[in-house]
Amino acid sequence: MKLKFALAASLFALTAAALPQAASAEVSPLDLVQPIADYKIYVSENAEKLVTDTKAFTDAVKAGDVDKAKSLFGSTRMSYEAIEPIAELFSDLDGSIDSRADDHEKAEKDPEFTGFHRIEYGLFAENSTKDLEPFADKLMADVTELNKRITDLTLPPEKVVGGAAVLMEEVAATKISGEEDRYSHTDLWDFKANFDGSRKIFDLVRPLIEKDDSAFVTKVSGNFDAVDATLAKYKTADGYQLYEKLTEDDRAVLAAKVNTLAEDLSTLRGKLGLN
Amino acid sequence: MTQSAGSASPSSQRWMKLAVVGSAGLVIAGGLAFYYASKGTKSGNSADTIVVTIKDGTCTPNAITVPAGRSTFTIVNNSDRALEWEILDGVMVVEERENIVPGFSQTLQAKLKAGDYEITCGLLNSPRGTLHVTPSAEADAEAAKPALRAYLGPLAEFQVFLVTQANALVKATQALDDAIKAGDLEKARESWQKARAPYSQIEPMADLFADLHNAVNPVADYLEKREQDPGFTGFHRIEYGLYASNSLDGLAPVSAKLLADVSALKDRMRGLRIPPEQIAKGAARLLSSIAETKIIVGEDHYAKTDLADIEANLAGVSRMMALLKPVAMPAAPEAVTDIDSRMADADSALKALRGPDGYPPFDNVNAESRKTLAQRVQALAEAIGKLNAAVGLE
Repeated sequence: MKLKFALAASLFALTAAALPQAASAEVSPLDLVQPIADYKIYVSENAEKLVTDTKAFTDAVKAGDVDKAKSLFGSTRMSYEAIEPIAELFSDLDGSIDSRADDHEKAEKDPEFTGFHRIEYGLFAENSTKDLEPFADKLMADVTELNKRITDLTLPPEKVVGGAAVLMEEVAATKISGEEDRYSHTDLWDFKANFDGSRKIFDLVRPLIEKDDSAFVTKVSGNFDAVDATLAKYKTADGYQLYEKLTEDDRAVLAAKVNTLAEDLSTLRGKLGLN
Repeated sequence: MTQSAGSASPSSQRWMKLAVVGSAGLVIAGGLAFYYASKGTKSGNSADTIVVTIKDGTCTPNAITVPAGRSTFTIVNNSDRALEWEILDGVMVVEERENIVPGFSQTLQAKLKAGDYEITCGLLNSPRGTLHVTPSAEADAEAAKPALRAYLGPLAEFQVFLVTQANALVKATQALDDAIKAGDLEKARESWQKARAPYSQIEPMADLFADLHNAVNPVADYLEKREQDPGFTGFHRIEYGLYASNSLDGLAPVSAKLLADVSALKDRMRGLRIPPEQIAKGAARLLSSIAETKIIVGEDHYAKTDLADIEANLAGVSRMMALLKPVAMPAAPEAVTDIDSRMADADSALKALRGPDGYPPFDNVNAESRKTLAQRVQALAEAIGKLNAAVGLE
């Protein structure tokens, strides 16, 4: 399943890259200052929320409250997933906060497998908080450090604008296949957060391209709306249904739209003179 | 982003069609990748593609040298697990490709500055390879006269700084207004001092708005009827009540107006379109006026908290210079180093005045100390005044 989407996304990206870019002469770097400043504020707010939510989550883990910890897992991750283009710039923290078992030699048994997915494994695969306390403490320390580093970071503009496509590629590669949150099956929460993060970037730069490229803007917002409407079907009172509830038809709709969004959004950097 | 292997077989017709559409490109890209891989290309000019093959947690080649500027890498995954490939500068990811599936390759472009980087080679604990980027004439020329685009990151961060400080200013002014309305003189004094710091930090930009500046920060010395002048409003009018009259009488409308004015200032900060040369220009202008006026005659005549204002002024200027530094340093290392050392001099002259209970009232600072501080601040103003020319901004 994953291969298929990854392949399709790459083909689109290849095609997009090969086509001549629309003229970007109208956009001065000074026009991008405010969108990037606003994005920094968005990232900072999410990083602060991540610290607050992770505190509640790890407190539940340390208190041995399996049910509460499970119920907080999906929502706690959202602020990380929304700002992933920036959060993952810190390779050490990204590895310790969000790596999956696959990234480690001994998979789930690897001592360096830490962070959200290690705790997820304990809570959902082993249905226990046994031995999770050190991982909880480490995760809390890591998100606190991440928040601090983000405050001090001058955002690389091309990573901000490129982040819109990166988030959609991330969805295509690991969320639609249901492999990111393989123990908890809360992939739709991550999906929603990646989606919101991507749309935020698009909305911030939208005024800069609307005038000269209204067809592009209309197409992209239409696809964002379609994904949003499909995702909304799986909304529950406190979050999202489990991944296995996603119907084959909706999965196909999401896959197609997400791949198109990834393709279209990958042209943003060029349109804004940031290649 | 080229995938170049044929082992995956898309199951639906639609995917098949897509695969066919892209296959011509894949064949070419795959062929190129194979060609370069078999040639074992290690380096070359920026038009070449450097092929890195990953197998069993090892990159081949494992040590790469490229010239500064744009380079293209094709990463071939010959291992049995999906992997990501990253170029790292310390812990920071410079460029990366994620989800390269086994048997496939992806291409990435990186614009690299001279220096030593690491490359990842599979799993998180796999030993890393090295990427050595040598100086190039092209990259050196670009760094010597940074384009407007190079300032985009610092300018955005500067705007975040302005908005953050302006928010703190509004919040503290709200607390001041509340305390005055509640008739709490002590709380009002405390809030007044809290509000001065964020205002002083953004003063180089705040004073660009003459109307608000004249309403928020006029000093009685420049008004015809001094403290009795109807134009005497804002911070110092409130200060006069809190510290000279020791009374909150008549201050409620003044603090309400101040709150409205700093809120307007916040909105203007958010929409401010600042060309990069304004940063050094604004900092130098403020520092000169501190050296020539504030330190000589003082500004907080009743609270005598001028040294706290100046500390916040210097903190703001220091932030502005720190933001410019990554762009300015490669272009004008001497000018930047000079600013750094003048900044340290000004800071130490100020800190020397600090006692165990913080800064003394300004009227306790003798003429000699004032003169030293003024000279150091003026020297800093002059060093910053040279920056724009040094980086080609004027």
